[in-house]
Amino acid sequence: MELTTTVNDETRVVEVDGTESAVEVVRDGLGLTGTKLVCGSGVCGACTMLVDGEPVLGCLTPATRLRGASVTTVEGIADGEDLHPVQRAFAHHDGLQCGYCTPGFVVDAVAFHDRWRADHHAGEPGGPDRETIAAALAGHLCRCGSYEGIYRAVAAACRGELDGGVGGVERVDAPAKVTGAALYTTDVVLPGMMHAAIRRSDVPAGVVGPIIFPDGVVGLDLLGDDRRVRWAGQPIAVVAADSLAQARRIARELVVPVTAQGFVLDPEAAARPGAPLVYPSRAEQKAAPSAGEGGSMPARWDGNRHGPTRTPFLGTVAKRRIGSARAGGRRGLVELEFHTAAQLHTAFEPHACLADWTDPQHLRVWLSTQGVDLMRHAIADRFDLDPTQVEVVAEHVGGGFGAKLSLTTEAVGAISLSRLARRPVRLVLDRHEELTGTGNRPGSRSHVSLLVDDDTQAIQALIVDTDSHAGVAIGNSVAALSMLLYDRTPRLARDVDVVTNAPPGAPFRGPGGPTSAWALEQTVDEVAHRFGRDPIDLRAQWDGNQKRQALYRWAAALETWRQRPTTGSQSGRFKRGVGVAAGNWIYLVDPDCEVVVSVESGRLVASTAAQDMGTGSRTVVARAVAGVFAVDPGQVDVRLGRSHGGTSHGPASGGSRTTVSLWSTAVEAATSLRDRVGTDLGRAPDGASATARRGGDRGLRAVPMTMNGIQIGRGFSAALHVTEVEVDSRTGKTRVLRVHGGIAVGRIHAPVLARSQCEGSIIQGVGLALYENQVLDPHTGLTLTANLEDYRIPQLGDTPEIDIHFHEDGWDRVPGGGVGLGEVATVSPAASVGNAILNATGWRPLSLPVRPDRLLEGLRTKVSR
Amino acid sequence: MSGITILTAYDERPDVSGELVYRAGGTDLQERLRTTGGTPHILDLTGVPGFAAIAHTDAGTTLGAGTTVATVAHDLAADYPALALTAAGLATPQVRATATVGGNLLQRTRCWYFRHPHLSCFKSGGDSCPARDGRHLYGVAFDTAPCAHPHPSSLAMALLTYAATVDTTHRSGLGIGDVLGDGSDPGRDHLLADDEVLTRVTLPPPAPGERAAYFRSISRFEAEWPLVEAVCRVVRDDAGVVRACAVAVGGVAPTPLRLPAVEDLLTGSTLDEATVSAAAAAARRGANPLPETGYKVELLEATVCEVLDRVRS
Repeated sequence: MELTTTVNDETRVVEVDGTESAVEVVRDGLGLTGTKLVCGSGVCGACTMLVDGEPVLGCLTPATRLRGASVTTVEGIADGEDLHPVQRAFAHHDGLQCGYCTPGFVVDAVAFHDRWRADHHAGEPGGPDRETIAAALAGHLCRCGSYEGIYRAVAAACRGELDGGVGGVERVDAPAKVTGAALYTTDVVLPGMMHAAIRRSDVPAGVVGPIIFPDGVVGLDLLGDDRRVRWAGQPIAVVAADSLAQARRIARELVVPVTAQGFVLDPEAAARPGAPLVYPSRAEQKAAPSAGEGGSMPARWDGNRHGPTRTPFLGTVAKRRIGSARAGGRRGLVELEFHTAAQLHTAFEPHACLADWTDPQHLRVWLSTQGVDLMRHAIADRFDLDPTQVEVVAEHVGGGFGAKLSLTTEAVGAISLSRLARRPVRLVLDRHEELTGTGNRPGSRSHVSLLVDDDTQAIQALIVDTDSHAGVAIGNSVAALSMLLYDRTPRLARDVDVVTNAPPGAPFRGPGGPTSAWALEQTVDEVAHRFGRDPIDLRAQWDGNQKRQALYRWAAALETWRQRPTTGSQSGRFKRGVGVAAGNWIYLVDPDCEVVVSVESGRLVASTAAQDMGTGSRTVVARAVAGVFAVDPGQVDVRLGRSHGGTSHGPASGGSRTTVSLWSTAVEAATSLRDRVGTDLGRAPDGASATARRGGDRGLRAVPMTMNGIQIGRGFSAALHVTEVEVDSRTGKTRVLRVHGGIAVGRIHAPVLARSQCEGSIIQGVGLALYENQVLDPHTGLTLTANLEDYRIPQLGDTPEIDIHFHEDGWDRVPGGGVGLGEVATVSPAASVGNAILNATGWRPLSLPVRPDRLLEGLRTKVSR
Repeated sequence: MSGITILTAYDERPDVSGELVYRAGGTDLQERLRTTGGTPHILDLTGVPGFAAIAHTDAGTTLGAGTTVATVAHDLAADYPALALTAAGLATPQVRATATVGGNLLQRTRCWYFRHPHLSCFKSGGDSCPARDGRHLYGVAFDTAPCAHPHPSSLAMALLTYAATVDTTHRSGLGIGDVLGDGSDPGRDHLLADDEVLTRVTLPPPAPGERAAYFRSISRFEAEWPLVEAVCRVVRDDAGVVRACAVAVGGVAPTPLRLPAVEDLLTGSTLDEATVSAAAAAARRGANPLPETGYKVELLEATVCEVLDRVRS
């Protein structure tokens, strides 16, 4: 049927068949791509639009409801160039990171703002409280965890603080993100474009026969020579067609002859002799994917066990001391076993690629990636091209969290099919695929043995054994990370990968870090409790990191810490508790990073082959250049998100290396340009430019070589989280009330954005601690939690009050004086929640997530301490 | 090939072949269409006169099947607080603004096996319940039917406490139990015929002095399907003695349950602490949880206790 509707004050006529939802008509039919489709099930609110002034979900609202209606999408919220106060508030208070959920939040917040302002006097102090805002926006999710900024923005807008055109912009691309103008890979449309869909395995193990594509179907077999599938959801083939619906139908109906084989999903069962082998041959073992960053260490295979990889320091001494302490029943020996569940990245922009061979020797690829330059080389390598023949574009990236650092099916499929079809091909994963097969922070089992002196609690030995459960993937380092904090004792880490026929793990912000801290930092806490020691004092006694020592002093003075209750002292229904946990991360830098700064028509332009997935690299470069020329960062045009950005190399956004690589390089390029042309840009020769390369930290590198654009720098960044929870002992629900995050990464180059990122890492840690849990069907290996209803990420209302403290000393030897924070900020939040629950209840949670059922069972069965 | 007819009368039937599906708010249907790639012919009910009308008479209040959940939450707060509080506590503001009373009662199960595009169960053309020897953390704690997942309708639970009745194009005066059945036919979430449309829900006249409470046990702030939910309505006399009460729970059984044993203990009491504790404990009677749902028995008592505490405070 034909449907006439008014969209953003314009009359539009579209053809619909009746089953579509409003979001499809608005995005695909009308080309208004500001509205995003994320969960497709009414949970996340990214597709919110106003229909006759009321916010509705574009994904669940039938398109026919738009008939005769007046529709306002995010593109229609601003009055021309004049942003709505809510939009200005989001930009001013940084209520966004990657920006993919932002249009939905903005549209709904505008409706809330207008209602609230109508019901309240102008200038009424206070504005809406957090609970009111959380209830109004309960239908929205943000995976970056920008909730603190969203609270600040909505309240400020309601108080009228952003009326009348005021309000600066912290994130230079915020205006594009709050208006829907920001273009993500999923939004790009090319003439003649085809759509691709993936056929995936619905068995967890099997051998696939030849796939015969029907006549006229553009298709590609994705399996290797061994024809094996090893996990349910593994891509088998990819096909392209003129429409997405058609491609999906062809993929679904494709004949895939599979001979099912024995499989194993439970890691305990996988480790037993006689279990079906995930990798039966040496060749297959060698080809196993890595869940870690930068490949896996060579190690021995024993059935489905790969490892152990040992990280010792006087490991034999550690083993001897712990062995004799165990035999002697020493009080100073604490041994605990911990379990964690797989955490899914679920970036809100799914993995997406649009490939276009402009001629047989030139390939342009729009790709939602954390590394445009990294992918340029990976694609060139894979498709036998010279890197100069490949251009990778990612203007804006809707989150990645580690899952978009390698060349995966959406890219291989779209590029291959585009070459076959000689047309542009787009491949966008749906949420089900995104939550099944694009990676996860692997689950684990860790056993920690920590020995201290019975009298002084001096640390005497530490052994950590971790089995990582990354499905078919290997290369996990969890226990090894436990060796880096308390470095004054004999210690030994043993990391084992136990492979199963489960979907592969992948790097996830601080790979191994939160998992390691969940075990180690709770064991440290247990020692403190056993000996009645202050957990901060005890850590300070053991810790050789001066930056963390400064954080201990900061934390010990916090009111939240000083007022903490005695463990197990509370008898009421609601039990409050405070916990602390420490974090640590390595320092990486990309010495080959280049930045070009030039003058074009009197404007400053900075270019680099980096990308911004919400972490703020565009803003970091703008601020670096602006500082040199003493102008506002908004006066600098930053061109990134293109591998041909005028430079030969830019850093990937992984390993917390983007800012530390870009900042000083941009400053150097800008300084050299300023020295040449002065600061009066109007008189500068058009096109004048200067290029700088980061280079290593001379004489200060930990390992004297660069691998894949990564140099391991000397020193460790540090973090400390002090967390207050309230446990409802009746319903088993834990609320995180307040978190103080102390971060020691040296100088902070974009403080507001840095705070947002640290807040987000706490919120992701709350999710890991309390809600997030990948669940597989034990009989088929299929992912049951492949939607955002059953895979539960934190909501606005779950956000604690967050206070971020930056300790800026200690990194003066690094150019720019500071290092990256994306990962160190994620390590300790979940562990601090665990320690807080112990303080509140007297029961220590050993398994993640601490769901209501686990908490109720724990409280019922706990032995009083 | 899909298509759509915007109905102007409940009994209108377009002359088309293939699967026909009725649609009210669409909040359940649209997601399932996207997941399954289904292309049925849609019979859209929103154009039927009176679909969203509310009528108050001496005999009670009649809600058109298309009355939105948000309207119930807002407009019925004074007269039917147990229903309104339940409506306000489910889903999200945007869903409540679109979802309808009829759709809420007749929605399909939220079980992750049913919703999975590559799995089948009793309710999606299969002949078993894979959750039973699979994963069923959110399953039933009263295991009385072949399908192991609770019915998702929170409004049905609240309507049970009012002994509300339902009219369809074929029948009138059905109880909620008549509509939902008891789960013994595991292929169905309701017992209406394929061409039968739920048209109205009728509530008895408001009970003067009714106090009500609703509570949904979940892991997060809100906007989550309940692990366990409970609603309670009481009418007390001047001395504080309970003259009438109704308690119902959801999330624990194949369909929402009234709890007469709990109600009997409360009726005639002053909602003193001992009675409330005993009544909440009585909610557990008959529970026979699955391996992963034992916690729901404890949570059921806690949730009932919570609504009783709220209603007496």
